[in-house]
Amino acid sequence: MNCRECKEHLYEYLDRELTPEVERDIRLHLEECPPCGEQFDFEKLFLEFLKARCRAQGAPPELKRRILNELFDE
Amino acid sequence: MTPPIPPVPPAPPAPPAPPSGSSAADAEKRASFEREALVHLDSLYRVALRLTGNAAEADDLVQETMLKAYRAWHQFERGTNAKGWLLTILRHAFINEYRRRTRHPETVDIDAIEPFSVFQEVQDDDPQGTFFDRIVDDEVLRAIDTLPEQFRETVVLSDVEGLSYEEIARVLGVPVGTVKSRLFRARRLLQQKLYDYAVGMGYIKGSSK
Repeated sequence: MNCRECKEHLYEYLDRELTPEVERDIRLHLEECPPCGEQFDFEKLFLEFLKARCRAQGAPPELKRRILNELFDE
Repeated sequence: MTPPIPPVPPAPPAPPAPPSGSSAADAEKRASFEREALVHLDSLYRVALRLTGNAAEADDLVQETMLKAYRAWHQFERGTNAKGWLLTILRHAFINEYRRRTRHPETVDIDAIEPFSVFQEVQDDDPQGTFFDRIVDDEVLRAIDTLPEQFRETVVLSDVEGLSYEEIARVLGVPVGTVKSRLFRARRLLQQKLYDYAVGMGYIKGSSK
């Protein structure tokens, strides 16, 4: 696998959406190609950062009460 | 001669009398709905917030979604992904009832958006992207809110809610290939917005471009 092919699968690789075979080919390429490795690490950190920043928010307790009332106490 | 009288079709069996209070079936429906659907309330709310762009509309959209889901609960295939099912209902409700009142569908051609790679910009100064760490939650959410709607919903379903490509494709009603390409461009565009913000705040030195 060359650099271009490897980068084409960047997000699919990080999202664990590839077959085990392709995943292994990419892992092998990343081990022997530091520039690709760095870029994959950068993108991986970015996705982790995104998740961490966006998941804190939850539904307000008041909304849950409203829904329970509406559904079950007609 | 009078024609033979067609046989009278048997009357359908009378439906069971509607339970006056709570029957065992109602209790079971309620229990399974709480167990399998209501546990996804936070996810629905986060997606609703990003779609509508304001808390009051998000509240209404989620409430409406839960109501529709409860009415259609008998149609939900037990053992399948309730989160995806609920998000599909939420998105349809948003498109049909809320989008007209809140945001408008994009007129921009999202296929023409080809964001550059932020990694290329920062690989010499900050290849680990540590400048991202200085950007707070609200700024990230604000940046997501400025994405074109098709990008925004794809990023939220994937990066915030953790759905697989296949699940996202089902919720959005598009092929998996479309999910892949939107996700690619959406993440790059978001990265670019956050990078521009970080440069503006002085968290990282901008390139000379």
